[in-house]
Amino acid sequence: MTAIGALGAVTANVRPVKPRQRGKVVATLLVLAAITVWAGLGVQIDLPEIVANFSNAVGNVVQLTQPDYGFFPKTIPALVETVDMAVIATVIGSAISLPIAFFASRATNPNTWLLMGLRFVMNLIRSIPDILLAAILVAVVGVGALPGIMALVIFNIGIIVKLVSEALDGEDTGPHEAALAAGASWLKAGRSAMLPQILPAYASQVLYTFEINIRASTVIGLVGAGGLGILIDNVRSFFRYHELSLIILEILLLVVLLESFSAWLRKRLI
Amino acid sequence: MAGTLTDTSSAPSLTNRPDKPVSWPSRLLWLLVTGIALAAYFSAKLDISALADFPAQAWKYLLLMFAPPNWGKLGEAFTAMVLSVQMAWIGTLLGIAVSFPLSFFAAAPLAPRWISWPLRGVFAVLRAVPEVVTAILILSVTGLTPFTGALALAVGSIGNLGKWGYETFEAVDRGPLEAVRSTGSGAVGLMRWGIWPSASAELLSLWLYRFEINVRASAILGLIGAGGIGKMLSDNVQFRNWDAVGMLLLVVIVVTMIIDQLSGAVRHRLIHGRWAVPFSTARRRPRSSKLPVEVPA
Repeated sequence: MTAIGALGAVTANVRPVKPRQRGKVVATLLVLAAITVWAGLGVQIDLPEIVANFSNAVGNVVQLTQPDYGFFPKTIPALVETVDMAVIATVIGSAISLPIAFFASRATNPNTWLLMGLRFVMNLIRSIPDILLAAILVAVVGVGALPGIMALVIFNIGIIVKLVSEALDGEDTGPHEAALAAGASWLKAGRSAMLPQILPAYASQVLYTFEINIRASTVIGLVGAGGLGILIDNVRSFFRYHELSLIILEILLLVVLLESFSAWLRKRLI
Repeated sequence: MAGTLTDTSSAPSLTNRPDKPVSWPSRLLWLLVTGIALAAYFSAKLDISALADFPAQAWKYLLLMFAPPNWGKLGEAFTAMVLSVQMAWIGTLLGIAVSFPLSFFAAAPLAPRWISWPLRGVFAVLRAVPEVVTAILILSVTGLTPFTGALALAVGSIGNLGKWGYETFEAVDRGPLEAVRSTGSGAVGLMRWGIWPSASAELLSLWLYRFEINVRASAILGLIGAGGIGKMLSDNVQFRNWDAVGMLLLVVIVVTMIIDQLSGAVRHRLIHGRWAVPFSTARRRPRSSKLPVEVPA
């Protein structure tokens, strides 16, 4: 092993000294351990309680392993509604996000204030969990699939705009400048010079969003926003574990099937 | 193919451009997508009339929530949010503790197929179940406590981190791995010296990223009664205390954004070897196996 010294002289068998980081590592670990103890106290990890509960719980667990397949016909409308919500939200959300993404990227929007403002709003939207949004929208527009779709659309705009505008940031702006120099409007320059470049990334993001939506739309009904979640809430409050287990099985199949389909499609796109 | 060109016998002129070729597969795909979207729209039987006065309604509720929010609830809301963050932290740690060793057994260069493939299946199933559903299952055993929420987050994290883990291990350069193997090292040595040095930065940053996800998810878990900010929110929405809801939302947004920025800064340090000023960078979603792993200078 040879090392090159600071002045370029090659000296044999002299390795550079490894920088000492032990102090830093120990300090970091101590801080992490402190946070963990603090969090553990807050969460009230109570193992004896769990052991005591477990004997009661065995019955529930046994019920959960035996899905009630006779319940299936009654779940079909909710199942369809779940998929409907995800599809509609994906279509509307991705349609609204595309133009906004152009305003949220430095490559296509020279106005710093508009850019920062938009990005801030998108950060804001993404930090509100979709189910919380749905819970509020249910109170505003009433129970049903509509508030669920609206919550998903709002959340989708947050994600797609972020990811697509970052894709735009990374693209070559040469064609865009050329189009502008040739006298194109911002709209036309973006449409003909930038859009084709990000189309595969955009399509892949839309599919990714669809996966998120499928997952979210299965549980968003817990707050009254349509789909399988409403059923979960019903059977849960009556402790019908056989039926609950069937619903969970359906969610599992739905998510795994649609996700692997979408993942396959995404792989083909890129 | 139907890619028709304009008349080629005429003299070429600037205005006479060839037509764009028609791609039938893509047309069919668009037709299919449109069909599915329309079918979904009509089968959902939405009551669109509710949307007509939505802008007015939304404005009314925004005013109710934020003009002004109930500042008296700030302390209570903050305490609840702290509990949510604690749930997320414990959930993430438990998830790491289980998924980290398992993901070694799911990585192709390290484990035989009869172990790695079933493990990957388990990760996939765990990822497919939403955390809320996991929480409903677990609470039949543990009862409604914040710890239930943490456990549910841990289960979700195992699926997610397990996958990221083995993907990271597989993306590692095979050179050091072979070098360590050639010294006659055992399995533990392979992991410690062949894989960990090149995978650690990315893996740590993925762990942090999962913590960010869990902070968001823990707010949701409160809705089914697992405690934290979500419980307080659903209670206040039910009783229509809109000014309290506004305060809670503010706390959720501010705390989530602060944690995102802090964690994002640490992840940037881990991956790029230097600190970045928070709020100044456009962060990318970490894509496992695509992140450049740089050795800190």
